[in-house]
Amino acid sequence: MKKIYLGLLTGFLALCFVAPVFAQGGTLEKIAKSGEFTVGVRDGAIPFGFISKDNEHVGFSVDVAKEFHKALEKKFGKSLKFTLKTTNPKTRIPLVSNGTIDIECGSTTHTVEREETVDFTITVFMTGTQLLVKKGSGIKSYKDLPGKKVGAAQGSTNEKAIRDLNDKGEIKPAANLVVYQEHSQGFLALERGILDAYCTDGILLAGMRAKAPNPDQYEVAGGFITYDPYAYIVRENDSKFRDFINIEIIKMIKDGRYAQIYDKWLGPNGVVPYPMSEEFKIFQKLEAWP
Amino acid sequence: MTFAYEFRWSVLWQHPYGEWMLQGIWTTLTLGTICWFLALLLGIIVGTFRVTPWRPLRILATAYTELFRDIPLLVQLFFWYFAAPRVLPAAIEQYLYRQVPNVEFWVVVIGLSIYTSSRVAEQIRSGVQSIPPDQFFAALSTGLTHFQMYRYVTIPLAIRIMIPPLTTEFLTTFKNTSLAMTVGVLEATFMSQQIEAYTFRGLEATTAACLVYLVITMLVVLLMGFVEKKLAVPGLIARGR
Repeated sequence: MKKIYLGLLTGFLALCFVAPVFAQGGTLEKIAKSGEFTVGVRDGAIPFGFISKDNEHVGFSVDVAKEFHKALEKKFGKSLKFTLKTTNPKTRIPLVSNGTIDIECGSTTHTVEREETVDFTITVFMTGTQLLVKKGSGIKSYKDLPGKKVGAAQGSTNEKAIRDLNDKGEIKPAANLVVYQEHSQGFLALERGILDAYCTDGILLAGMRAKAPNPDQYEVAGGFITYDPYAYIVRENDSKFRDFINIEIIKMIKDGRYAQIYDKWLGPNGVVPYPMSEEFKIFQKLEAWP
Repeated sequence: MTFAYEFRWSVLWQHPYGEWMLQGIWTTLTLGTICWFLALLLGIIVGTFRVTPWRPLRILATAYTELFRDIPLLVQLFFWYFAAPRVLPAAIEQYLYRQVPNVEFWVVVIGLSIYTSSRVAEQIRSGVQSIPPDQFFAALSTGLTHFQMYRYVTIPLAIRIMIPPLTTEFLTTFKNTSLAMTVGVLEATFMSQQIEAYTFRGLEATTAACLVYLVITMLVVLLMGFVEKKLAVPGLIARGR
């Protein structure tokens, strides 16, 4: 009996020492030492991160992550392993916090609330919460939602937005909110007729619609219920790495690489044509520090 | 060695997280219990068919068991939720999806009950087949019909043999209810994840989920132990102690 207790105690202590490993050192040191750059990407957020026909992770944010990888290789002067890990709205913050991934490049909204746990890069895109509905459903904005079945992804700002609208009584009687794990499931539910509307960021809805077998059956309804600026997630209190990534983004804006990637995914020939609004163009100019 | 993480257990009972957790626990309990009783009912029927002398019934039961035993539960849940209603006429399908309150819950009831019943059927089969054949010959030779033999000899004996493996199935049913969160059912695992999404207190939330399932399953084990003692026929089954 004593031997068993001793064995359990040793095992427990060993586990305790493994846990704080990621608490030491910055991300740049970690990448240099391990030779690996791990990025979290999405597989249901078109066109920022999704699975292509060849079963690969592709998208706007994936391409930006590849640029970060090139910049890191140049900085350290050696080749680094580029690993992509799938994340979803629920897991993206915990995975960055605990060190499993170094940065999450997807379609995450930068909010004050999230700043308590992680840090964000500068804004890379702007959109807002909208609704995807089937044509002819009669839903034009969130005011048409009372009593309807609405879907959203667990952990997203959109889910919180609908919940807040319900709680504050702005949708009376409350909309029936069904929460899924990824946008692809929610879209399937909308397509099957389980939902009246699916709620997420406008650009992702445009993406889902573009990839649907029959895009004409759907329309993006409503004005922006919330303001969603996208940024990439990095660990809390790690300015060296965050500065590096921010400066890389600014370099990309200045030398045209950002515009190229934008054009590839969101340009007229892209997966989801979405012209850059004038406000965003000005915002980008102002964001690019000299 | 210091933990860089500050524990804040109060998030678990603060408003509104406390209510969410309680709602989740209640849903898990109801989902698990309803599924278990349905699975038991279906499983006993199918299991008995598996061991009857009539071939057509045996073939039917074998097909049922193999089909639902060999496909992962998650795939089955997705099937019942997204794909199965397609075979219904459009009007009924729309009624199901929109008008039935909590349709996600009932879809999981169907999916999980059928899955668990196929496993229960196998337990029944192995329980029945572990009874020495002399019992059946003795029963038939006293003039009982086949049906009466099943009713008065086979099934009572088999049930007492099978209580331990059936307890495991009961526990597994409760653990499998956590998969319901993938089709939008607000049960305990979902709620613990929801608390984590709102408060970023992952460690507390996940520990809460673990404790919930531990407590539920230990209660089940206690209950089944009580049932086993109550149902025991003295001298029927060899005991270790």
